[in-house]
Amino acid sequence: MTADASDLSLVQRVQRGDKGAFDVLVLKYQHKVVKLVMRYVRNPAEAEDIAQDAFIKAYRALPQFRGDSAFYTWLYRIAINTAKNAVVARDRNPVDFDLDMTNNDESYEMQGRLKDSETPEALVLTDEIRTTVNAAIANLPDDLRTAIVLRELEGLSYEEIAATMDCPVGTVRSRIFRAREAIDSRLREVFEGGLGRAEEIG
Amino acid sequence: MSKEELESQLSAMFDDELPAPECELLARRLARDEQLRERWGRYAAIGACVRGEPGVRLQTSLAGKVSAALKQESAQNGVPAAGGDKRGWFTPWVTSLAGLASAAAVAAVAILWMRSEAPALVAHNAPLQNAPAAHPAVRMQPATAPQLALVTPAARVPKSHEPDSYVTPAAVAQVPGLVPPTELANYIVAHSAYSGPLMRRNALSALVAVDSAAPPVNAQPIPAVVTGK
Repeated sequence: MTADASDLSLVQRVQRGDKGAFDVLVLKYQHKVVKLVMRYVRNPAEAEDIAQDAFIKAYRALPQFRGDSAFYTWLYRIAINTAKNAVVARDRNPVDFDLDMTNNDESYEMQGRLKDSETPEALVLTDEIRTTVNAAIANLPDDLRTAIVLRELEGLSYEEIAATMDCPVGTVRSRIFRAREAIDSRLREVFEGGLGRAEEIG
Repeated sequence: MSKEELESQLSAMFDDELPAPECELLARRLARDEQLRERWGRYAAIGACVRGEPGVRLQTSLAGKVSAALKQESAQNGVPAAGGDKRGWFTPWVTSLAGLASAAAVAAVAILWMRSEAPALVAHNAPLQNAPAAHPAVRMQPATAPQLALVTPAARVPKSHEPDSYVTPAAVAQVPGLVPPTELANYIVAHSAYSGPLMRRNALSALVAVDSAAPPVNAQPIPAVVTGK
C-alpha cells in the first residue's frame, strides 16, 4: 500500500467524522511538519506551535480535500503557508523591550531569550537521545543496521531495500522492525518513564 | 494478534509499507493506544537521529495538543467537526432565510411602533388645530405638518413611485381630503419596503422627526402662513 492510499483512507474516515483518524494523521506527520517549519523558524517550541496551527487549519479544510493531490503534499503546503504567515506576523510585531531598562540583569535575560533557539536543557536532551541512538545502531548486527540505515537515511522503500540486500520484502520488514526495537529498548532504558522527561522539558 | 506482530505492523505503517486493511485497523488501535503512540514518537526520533536532524525530541504531545485545541474550539464556537459538517450545502440558504426573517421582524416592529405612535401624534397636535378658533382675529394655520402635507402622497406616488414628502400630517383630521395619519404611516412604511435602505431610513427618520419636532401642548404655533380667507 502506498502512503497516498493509506492517507486517503484516513482522510476519508476523518471526513466521515472519525476524529481519531485525524489524530493518527497528526501523529504520522507531526515530525515531518515540525522539521519543515523549522526551515522558517529556529525555535523548536515556536515550530511546534506553528505546526499545531497548520494541523488545525488542515482539519478545518479537510472537508474540501478531494484527494487530487497526495495528503502530505496538501498538508505541507498548508504548513509552509502557516510558517510564512507566522514569520511575517512576528516581523510586524517584534518582541518589544525597553532600552532604558534600569535592571541590567533583566535586560540581559531578555536579550538572551531573544537569541536562544533552544533551552540548554533541551539541547542536552537532544544530545542524550542522539548519543543513545547512535550507540544502539553501532551495536546492531550488520543486516539490521544496513536495513534501518537504507530506510531512514537513504529513504529507500522496502522493495528497493530487498533488491539491494538481495532478500525478500518480508525479511526487510522484519529486519527494520527488529532494528527499531533494539534501539527503542535502549532509549526506554535511558529515558525511564517514557516521554515524561522529554515533555517536561519540551 | 501478538504484541510483537502489532509492533511490527506499526513499524511497517510508519514506513508507509502496511497493506490498506491492516493500516485501517492499526490506525483505529493507534488512536486509542497511548503506548503505541509513544512508540511511534520514538520511531520518529530514531529516524531523525539517523538523518542527523537538529532538535530531535521525543514528542507525541502535538497530536494531543491539536486534538485538545480542536475540541476547545468546537466547544467555544460551535464549529462542527471536519467530518461531521453535514450542513455545508444548506448553510447559504439558512443565512439568506435568517437575513430575510430579521428584516421582516424589523419591519413588523417598525409598523407596530408607528401604529402605536400615530394616535399620540394626533392627540399631541390637537391644541394646534384649535388655536385659530381661540384667536379668531388672526386666522392662521400651524406651519408644521398640514402645510407640508397638502400634497397628498396618494396623489403623487403613482407618477414617480416615490413620495415627495414623508411628513405625517398632524392635523389631518381637520383637513378634508387628507389621509389619516395611521394609514399614511402604514402606507409610507409599506412603500418604503420597496425602496433602498437609505430611502427607507429617511422615511422612518422623517416620521420620527415629526413627532419629536412637534411643539409642546401649550406652545403657540408659529404663524408661518396667514391666509387671506
